[in-house]
Amino acid sequence: MKGGGFKIYAVAYLIFLYAPIILLPIFAFNNAAIIAFPLSGFTTKWFQALWAEPALWNAAKNSLIVGVSTSILSTALGVFAARASTRYNFPGKGGILGMIMLPLVLPEIILAVALLVLLLGIGVPLSMFTVTLGHVLVCTPFSIAILSAAFQSLDRSLEEASYDLGENAVTTFWLVILPLVMPGIISSLLITFTISLDEFIMAFFLAGTESTLPVYIFSQFRFPQAVPVIMALGTILVLLSITLLSIAEYFRRRGIARTGGKDTGGFL
Amino acid sequence: MTLPAEQPTMIEFKDVHKYYGDYHALRGITATIRAGEFFSLLGPSGCGKTTLLRTIAGFEDISSGVVMIDAKDMAGVPANQRPTNMVFQSYAIFPHLTVAENVGFGLRKDPRTKEEKAKAVSEALEMVGLTGFGARAAHALSGGQRQRVALARALILKPKVLLLDEPLSALDKKMREQMQVELIKLQRQVGITFILVTHDQEEALVMSDRIAVMFDGEIAQLDDPETLYRKPANRRVANFIGTMNFLPAKIVSETSQSIQVEAAGFGSFTVAADQASGKKGDEETAVGFRPETLTILFDDQKASDREAMATVEEVVYYGDMTYYDIRLDGAPVAMRLSMRNVPGRPVLDIGARARVAWSTAALVLFR
Repeated sequence: MKGGGFKIYAVAYLIFLYAPIILLPIFAFNNAAIIAFPLSGFTTKWFQALWAEPALWNAAKNSLIVGVSTSILSTALGVFAARASTRYNFPGKGGILGMIMLPLVLPEIILAVALLVLLLGIGVPLSMFTVTLGHVLVCTPFSIAILSAAFQSLDRSLEEASYDLGENAVTTFWLVILPLVMPGIISSLLITFTISLDEFIMAFFLAGTESTLPVYIFSQFRFPQAVPVIMALGTILVLLSITLLSIAEYFRRRGIARTGGKDTGGFL
Repeated sequence: MTLPAEQPTMIEFKDVHKYYGDYHALRGITATIRAGEFFSLLGPSGCGKTTLLRTIAGFEDISSGVVMIDAKDMAGVPANQRPTNMVFQSYAIFPHLTVAENVGFGLRKDPRTKEEKAKAVSEALEMVGLTGFGARAAHALSGGQRQRVALARALILKPKVLLLDEPLSALDKKMREQMQVELIKLQRQVGITFILVTHDQEEALVMSDRIAVMFDGEIAQLDDPETLYRKPANRRVANFIGTMNFLPAKIVSETSQSIQVEAAGFGSFTVAADQASGKKGDEETAVGFRPETLTILFDDQKASDREAMATVEEVVYYGDMTYYDIRLDGAPVAMRLSMRNVPGRPVLDIGARARVAWSTAALVLFR
């Protein structure tokens, strides 16, 4: 059959990509403390064990606060940058945008170490605030990328039409621009939240004595008996991430459909 | 339909200049647009016609000069406070709103009640032939329907001036011709000053009371369609509007009433002084005439003024019309001639000899 080799390759690739993730729920519901086949029966006790873990709850609360703050801050910064880059021309625009997008490709560990040295140098105590700073640095490029696409597809004459019909710059933003880029904003909020929720390196370096969920998970791996609980937690996190990204993609596509545009790529 | 000249002035440009950096986009525009007029800005792309329209709307600042609307200087008046509304080339229909919400967009600060506004919206939709379309999503409309929504949205505010930026360029030929007629009717119905930007000379001739032909940021000629066609101000205008033949000529002598001209193939003849266009020494002297002012004589037909022998060099058959490229004996260039096809009269072949008649009164002398 034509393309048979490619089909086998594609299937193998998908198995390689998703098999480890499928193992998560399998062992999360497996009635054994040791992660190994054969499976020894169904249980939900690992999920119950999650409830009785105050350190976990604290880490989850931290992650939530950092995630929400990060998504709001980086999306707000993304709106400003995307608006500026798509509507105005200023000297050094290309260079400035390149610098803003650079954290996307810089090794995160370098950024984290540099930020740690800087914050300690100027005497900022490590806390969830510093983790949020680090996450905003990592997430803002994603926000800009998502929102630039949203702003780019805005026809300039829509704004002019609004002025022409009696609105000013502020009301035009509320009545025309914001509704049209709203799917992009929601998409950006959800994606940056997801990134922040999963992020480990920044959180590990900048959290001080506190910890976020990924840092907590990492620390728990030292105790073999905690591993099935982590599997249960991981299952929940995977489901949450998939849900958030699906919603983000739904809004992105709805935004395109609403403005009558053509779909060009996306995350899902 | 030509409006009387005593119609009050709606828009006045006084020596308007616009620079984009070093680029001189508008070079001293001085013109008057009358109230209730269907006015067109016609020219090739890059001639400044859209820029000029946008200075009326308030989307472009002018570098110097004055733009007055209804006797008020518009300097410093932003777009949202001008008594103008615009139909954009892309229509700029808000895609997140319904048709009715689009049409009613400009009524937000209107003190009328919700019911009165809804009535105004449905009346506006009826006016453009979109009765019952109010609840539709704007992005699901066809090009022609978007155009109508854009019109309704602008006209509902009863502006003093409606600005139309190439509104028909995105439509197919049939639709465009239909909309041309509808726009003319609509303009007569509402009595608002319409200013149309177009690069389509035919569209401008069909729709306008008066046309400003623009080249390179300047108005080359401002006249009613008939004058523009009959007596273009220079060769460039003549070439842009319709087809015009040019034959090199020489001025033999001239008085204040008449000019004696000599042209190879045409011989020597006299034209009235007001048949001359252009400033002296502007261009190479030439006589110009439209294809329909030349006629081929058949059988024993007689010329009312002048005639000469010619050879057919090209024949283009259009059904109702035939276009011939003919060369008068002794003339240096061929000329285009159009004949209405009449039953029983043959279409001539290439190489045929023909008697060609013309009237010197229909010529334009370019000098």
